[in-house]
Parts: sequence; C-alpha cells; structure tokens
Amino acid sequence: MHITVLYGTESGNSELIAEDLGQALAADHEVTVSDLQDYDPAQLAGNALTLIVCSTHGEGELPNTAIPFAEALDALQPDLSGLRYAMFGLGDTFYEETYSQGSELLDRRFTELGGTRIGEYGRHDASSWDLGSDVALEWLPGVIEAFEAAVVS
Amino acid sequence: MSSPSTPRIAIVGSGPSGCYLAQSLRRALPEAIITVFDQLACPFGLIRYGVAADHQSTKAITRQFERLFTRDGVTFAGNIRLGRDLGLDELQEHYDLVALATGLSQDRGLTVPGEHLPGVHSAGVLTRLLNAHPDSTGPFPELGPAPVILGAGNVAIDLVRFLAKRPEHFAGSDIHDDALADYAARPAERITVVSRSPVATAKGDPLMLRELGKLEHVRFTSPDDLSVPADADRAAIARAEALATLTDPARAHSSAVEVVLRFGWAPGEILADPTTGRAATVALTNAAGDREPLAASAVIRAVGFELGSGLAGLVPAELLEHRSDSGFVRDGLYRTGWVKRGPTGTIPENRSDAKQVADEIQADLASGRIVLDPRKRGFAGLPAAVQERAVSFADWQRLDLAEIAEAGPDRVRRKRADHDHMLRLARSGHLADAPAR
Repeated sequence: MHITVLYGTESGNSELIAEDLGQALAADHEVTVSDLQDYDPAQLAGNALTLIVCSTHGEGELPNTAIPFAEALDALQPDLSGLRYAMFGLGDTFYEETYSQGSELLDRRFTELGGTRIGEYGRHDASSWDLGSDVALEWLPGVIEAFEAAVVS
Repeated sequence: MSSPSTPRIAIVGSGPSGCYLAQSLRRALPEAIITVFDQLACPFGLIRYGVAADHQSTKAITRQFERLFTRDGVTFAGNIRLGRDLGLDELQEHYDLVALATGLSQDRGLTVPGEHLPGVHSAGVLTRLLNAHPDSTGPFPELGPAPVILGAGNVAIDLVRFLAKRPEHFAGSDIHDDALADYAARPAERITVVSRSPVATAKGDPLMLRELGKLEHVRFTSPDDLSVPADADRAAIARAEALATLTDPARAHSSAVEVVLRFGWAPGEILADPTTGRAATVALTNAAGDREPLAASAVIRAVGFELGSGLAGLVPAELLEHRSDSGFVRDGLYRTGWVKRGPTGTIPENRSDAKQVADEIQADLASGRIVLDPRKRGFAGLPAAVQERAVSFADWQRLDLAEIAEAGPDRVRRKRADHDHMLRLARSGHLADAPAR
C-alpha cells in the first residue's frame, strides 16, 4: 500500500515526526513524506491513506508551512469522500485554550469535504517533554489496524 | 566515511540556529563531518539561557536537537571559545567551511542621556542571572518597589512576568534560586512597561501578553490608548485584544502587584536623584509632544541586541554589521540566525533561516565555490589540547543528569552558574570538593 505522510511545521518537530513515521512504515509500505507547503491538495483524493502531522502556532493557528496548503484547499474545495486520513496534532497544554488546535483546523476542513478520519486522533503535548516521535510511533499501529479493518469491511 | 567529497563543516554556536543548521546540513549531506562548537560546557545556547525558566515546554525543542548528537553523528564540542582556545584561521585550516551561529549577546543601548547611571540595568544581564548563565555574576540587583522596563518585546514581557510573580509561581521551572531569593526579599509592587511604539506596531507576542492574565494577584492598568486602527494587521489586533482583556476592570484579580502598561512613549532621558546619584526618573515624550516624568526605583532597558556583537575581534566587524539575506560572508565562511539577519524572530524563524543557508552551502559545494581539501580532517585534526578540552555530548548528558538529580523541591533541574562546576559535573558527574553556592 502507498501511504502519504504530510506535515505542517513551524519549529521542525512535525517534520521529524513525519520522517520517523515514514521510516517506520517503509518496511511494509511505499511511503511519501512531504511538507504540506509542497503538496497539491488536488492529489489528496487519489491517496490510499494519508497521515497528517501538524503543529499549532500562536493563538491556535496553523503553522507556517500548512497555511498555503489550507488556502489552496479552500480555493479548490475537492471532493474528499474517498479520503481516509489519520491526524496527529502537536500542541502545548501550557496554552490550554489553544492546545492542539492547529491540526484541528485541517481536520475540520477534511471532514467538511467528506473525508473519513481513521483511528485515534493522535496528540503530542510539548509540556510533557515526551519525544514526539515516541508518542507518534505508539499511535501508528492502531491507525494501520483501523485502516485495514475499514478497508476489509 | 571520509573521502575527498566529504565536506568537513564546523558550526560555531549550539543554540537554535546552530542546531537547525546542523540538522539541515545533515539531511542534505549524510556523509559530511559536522562539529558543533560552543563556548559553554553545555549545548543549546539561548534555549537554555534565553528562554525563560518558567517556559519549560518551549525548551522541549531540545528533544529534537539531541538526536543530532545521539543518533545522527554530529559531534558536539563544548568548552571551546573561538578566539581563546581556537582561532578562526585555525578552525578553517581543519574544516572546509565554518558557519557562525553565535547569536547576539550584547544588549542594544538606548542612546539617551543617563542610560549608564547606577540603577539602570540591562535585560540581558538580568535574564542571564535568572537563567544561571555562567557569565552572570553577583546577586540579582535590588530594583526597589517601582521598577520601569523600557521596551515591550518578548524579553521585556519575560521580565514583567518574573518581577510580577512570587516564589510559589516558579514551581516546575529551573529558575536560578539564588537570584530568585535575592529578588523575593524585596519584590516590586508596581512595574511599569514602556513601549516606544503604539500598540499597533509594538513588539510583544500577543500570546505572551495573554499569559500574563493568568497572574491573579496582579492588576493591569494603562492610562494610554490601547486600541489599534480597524485595518491593523492580525498580530496588532490580537495584541490589542490581549491588552483589553488584561486591563478590563471586570477581570478578577487582587491588587498585590500592579503592572502599568504604557504605549507610544519614548524615553528622552534618565534623570538621577540628586542625593543618591541613582536613576530616579525617566523623562517620557509621545508623538504629540506631551512630556511626562515617570518615577522609577530602577530602570531596565530591554530594547534588543546589538548586531555584530557576538564575535568581537574575530571577524572583521564590517563583514557582520549588516543584515543579509545570504549566509555567505567570505570564502569558506557562512553565518546563520541572529548573527546573520539581526535579533528578530522566535526559535522557529531560525529554522527557515538555517534551511536557506544550508541550501546555499549545498549550491556552493556543487558549484565549487566551496573547495574541498581532502587533507582537512575536521575535529580529528585539531590540536590535541583543544580535543582534550572539549566537552562531548556524552559529557553534557552526564551534566544534564546531575542537574536533574540536584533539582530542589518544585524545580525540574538545578543549573550551576559556574563554568568550572559545570565542567566537573560534565566530566565526572559529581563536584567532589567544590564549595556549595
């Protein structure tokens, strides 16, 4: 199966997590890892499974590299009813009101355009000092399992 | 591993800029020999010594940088000061390219009369004290009941938060407890922050202003107009909203401490008390030409950092005094981060800067502008005395564990503000017979 891993980042944490997810998946799957700012949303509908890793910037906003993607998505309004995606959001509970909201801005768009989220909504909290990749790699198998179950049924 | 096409790269400075550059170069050049030097016995520069002690989650970015040294084959060489332990020429003899990521450490002056009076302090000095920087010395200065902070950027807001907080608010931090105890003996009652710019063009991050609102024992006031034009940019509107929330009379608070927010006032002069000779009044003026004398028990200048201040005497000043979009300084010498583009932007902005410089270096390697010399051996070629002196990443990990083990109640670590203590902990994990302070 071909899995697309996309990341939106400000400080590089999401990029590192996306790379590590890509590396973990590469043993059994074909993987493409890409920065959201280099990714054309028109391609989304054709993906088998898309993983999104996205941080939160400022007051609950999208990180820099996710902004052009979100704008292109808004302009294009593609039909994503065939899209199966999983979301891993980064944030900081130190800023309770806006914790992990950056990724939710993308999640909402995908849902509105008909996409189906697979598995648990993954989260990493900077206040925990956990390494983001450790948390994401624990989250990943559940997503793959949920995807395989969804495809079979 | 080493071949004629393997570049040897020295990065000077292990703060965010240096680490981001090492990360980008490692991705682009998996074979390159990369050494990151630092003058201190520990890595991470401003993350450790600039980010406030009560902003631990911001410091968690070090978790991604650690991997450079533990997994990605980048060498850390701490305790090496360029110009003292190793000349720039000497470094260039052993590395195909040297990238400066030394940041800026010198506080910018106000250039107003009276700025050097007793009782006028620089934000950099205070911040280093609170973060237990090994270059900081002495007790935290006495600021009196009504200190005035000139500047309203993020460094200024960090200081407001420190001055307004009480010792119990530092749980979970790695604040330098000696400095905190000095301050807590005579804490400020009224703190005034003076921004030269009006709210619309002021510097402070709205998120950091909002955070101040969590301090329920503090009353925030302002006699000034805190509104912004309707067509102001998003950050300005967010800043104005944050300030409106803080100063809302309905905001629940006690009045143990007052923070007065002034916008649109320039300090024209700092005047001394004629009997004590210490700074006592800041003469303010605004755009309308109004004047206001502001009483101050101490003055803190927090108006940024001086460009070209990181490398005094090592690199001709004229090469570094201008900001540049390019990281190229001269053959074999590059720069990134604040020493390149000036003291603006938060940690993540240094990432995009470093990526650009890494692209530039890659292009210069491809075009032959950087000439590889297979006789250069990188760290392995440096004089034995320098190699022995260097603090390795494993040494730092030992120091890191020792600091965490030594943390007092409600602290995540205990930093030693003494370079020799740090070295001893790094090398052996304990201080042996070092005196306690």
